[in-house]
Amino acid sequence: MERLKTFLRHPTGMIGLVILMAVVVLAVLAPTLFPDDPWEMVAAPFQPPASEGLPLGSDMLGRSVAAGIAYGARVSLTIGVASTLAALCIGVTIGAIAGYFGGKVDDLMMRITELFQTIPGFVLAILLVATIGPTLTNVIISIGAVSWPPLARLTRAEFMRLRGREFVQAAVCQGQAPMVVALRHILPNAISPIIVTGSLTIATAILIESALSFMGLGDPNLMSWGLMIGASRTVIRQAWWMSMFPGIAIVLTVLAINLVGEGLNDTLNPRISRKARKA
Amino acid sequence: MNDDILLAVENLSVALPKGGDRGHAVADVSLSVRRNEIVCLVGESGSGKSITAHAVLGLLPSNLSIGGGAIRFRGADIAHADEGTMRGLRGGAISMIFQEPLSALNPLARVGDQIAEAIVTHASPRPSRAELDARVLELIAAVGLPEPATLVRSYPFQLSGGQRQRVMIAMAMSNNPALLLADEPTTALDVTTQKQILALIRRLQAERGMGVLFITHDFGVVADIADRVVVMRGGRVVEQGSVDEVLRRPKDDYTKALIAAVPGSRPAAERDRHLDGEPLLDARGLNKTFVTAQGLFRPHRTVPAVRDVALSLRPRETVAVVGESGSGKSTLGRIIMRLVEPDAGAVEFAGMDFLQLRGSQLRAMRRKVQIVFQDPFAALDPRQKVGDAIARGPMAYGVPPAEAIADAKRLLARVGLEASAAERYPHEFSGGQRQRICIARALALKPMVLVADEAVSALDVSVQAQILDLLAELREEMNLAMLFITHDLRVAAEIADRIVVMRRGEIVEQGDTKSVFTSPQHPYTRALLDAIPGRSLFAGPEAAATLDVMTA
Repeated sequence: MERLKTFLRHPTGMIGLVILMAVVVLAVLAPTLFPDDPWEMVAAPFQPPASEGLPLGSDMLGRSVAAGIAYGARVSLTIGVASTLAALCIGVTIGAIAGYFGGKVDDLMMRITELFQTIPGFVLAILLVATIGPTLTNVIISIGAVSWPPLARLTRAEFMRLRGREFVQAAVCQGQAPMVVALRHILPNAISPIIVTGSLTIATAILIESALSFMGLGDPNLMSWGLMIGASRTVIRQAWWMSMFPGIAIVLTVLAINLVGEGLNDTLNPRISRKARKA
Repeated sequence: MNDDILLAVENLSVALPKGGDRGHAVADVSLSVRRNEIVCLVGESGSGKSITAHAVLGLLPSNLSIGGGAIRFRGADIAHADEGTMRGLRGGAISMIFQEPLSALNPLARVGDQIAEAIVTHASPRPSRAELDARVLELIAAVGLPEPATLVRSYPFQLSGGQRQRVMIAMAMSNNPALLLADEPTTALDVTTQKQILALIRRLQAERGMGVLFITHDFGVVADIADRVVVMRGGRVVEQGSVDEVLRRPKDDYTKALIAAVPGSRPAAERDRHLDGEPLLDARGLNKTFVTAQGLFRPHRTVPAVRDVALSLRPRETVAVVGESGSGKSTLGRIIMRLVEPDAGAVEFAGMDFLQLRGSQLRAMRRKVQIVFQDPFAALDPRQKVGDAIARGPMAYGVPPAEAIADAKRLLARVGLEASAAERYPHEFSGGQRQRICIARALALKPMVLVADEAVSALDVSVQAQILDLLAELREEMNLAMLFITHDLRVAAEIADRIVVMRRGEIVEQGDTKSVFTSPQHPYTRALLDAIPGRSLFAGPEAAATLDVMTA
């Protein structure tokens, strides 16, 4: 409760939260606001913004850009959140095992992590999607598979720090099983920085998804911001609005998530927050 | 006489931000320090003694400010002086030394450069390089550091705690201050080092005729160093006077209670507790060496923490393991707890080799040996309710939750807390209360052996005495054997049946408490006993006997 209040008083965090909520509302209300399928041709092609019934204009095939953005918000947010959850599952598990047991287990886990870190994430994501096929699930899996190493390293560091703490040792001496010690004592105390990094991972995931769609590697059945920019890039000189508005949507969403993440960092980790350092 | 007054604090008040447990950090505090005099400011944690000293140098935390009163240094009020004036005074006419010399020194600069910087900051015109070097060497020699020429080139991490504190003192002395503020400068040090540092401060003070405001919580230290004493409680001065007046004939009840609580000042309890029977726990040939890599091309650094240690503990017996930092006493405790795996050795416990147990067998035996840690703030999970912390242990062994919680509440009541404490989080409790919770948590499993690793070292003396009493009662009630690890011989004398003295990983002497105190065999034990602060003042009947033996 205390922390919620602190967050609500965090100016930039609140700006981010407001923008993010707007995007979420847009995504949720997309079928109500735009009852037509976003793939449907509803007007003449190349209509500029603020034309009749087309607040943001139409694209080369006469589809509404506004509807595309609203439905694209659903895809971006779904993929962003789902792939981050996937990355959290992999990263926290591997990091926790490495940090808790240490020694050879740690060495093995970290070598695997480094293997993933040495391959450029985006290239690996392209490779994965191209191999296993561009469906929504596969895109989520691919982005998750390239986003987990930083989370694993962070979790490992937190576990190593807390592993030697006396309250953890006391729990071990009480005869609690390793699983219980890790889940009940270490993880709750390590969760704040993981949440912060996780929230920033969502932003990165949305960017990766947009880039994949831009290259035509997104799910072809789903309208997405990256896809819209990719499709209209050839006509950007005649019809700027087709790529501009999805671009603004990406920028605003990613910015909002970063602001929220920053706000969370200042609230959850007050000791390393930038505000505290200024004081 | 009045001309001699260097520092006069008059009716000083510092307000606390709203929402604190009291309105003022310090209220209406008046004290003075004359030239050539050591004034000890004594009090428990939270008494406002550090705030008073920090206020003198204008170093209050940003949310505190001086509310009223005056601080006069050589007659001029510096309570409201501007930043420039204060900067001129700090490290110049008034200098300060802190408790933790490692964090007060820059880890990346050579100590010689740091001392030189302290001189240059206040010197105008800037002295030549040769003058500066000579001055630094002179200061290092003055604080009794070995080989000044090599020492100037070393980094803080290469020095021991005592040496670092000497460097800090050298920096404080660099501009011949008229007034030295010393904020618990020996609290983080071993007793033998503490004795040397106290002697050094005494000597420098006498040589230079400085005034010293010495902050401490330890009446033993007060007895050794002070000319005058100011006792603080809850932000107010409760008593002040000469060291003899205050320590031998205290007027205030609080001062009396504090002095009575100093361990070793009370008459020793009846020691013959009729201990017999086969050893309950028998450790033999324990060895543990820590190896740390030091980069690719340098040999690994090996530190033998425990060397060939054998130790036995009979039922109901309390054995104190005494030693300075680095003596391996904590590692020994952790080996017995199976928190550290030894390189070699055996711990026979209830007919089994405890060190060979694995998996579920080990977990089944763990409950028989429990530990209470030093820092009650680190030893409790901040996100777990107190009742839960205590009940989790029995629940891990199959006790039904309702029963475990009821037991936890009973235990909380037994260690002197309300049963409602079970529903609260650790941060709502004071240090002493938290240590009681830790004891309840350890005892919830009905152990046979309790390892107390510096269990009272982080506590104020009055709280320390209460916890020691509690432990002494509980060991009788629950037939506990106790391994009491401590650096403080005074504490060991209060509770132990037998004392084991460790040094550099080896046991140098062991014997029953009385004989170790009255006729120590090993020179190191004698040095430890000799370094106990305030021995002359608090010499009880037994300690007096020791003194006779030692002077003989």
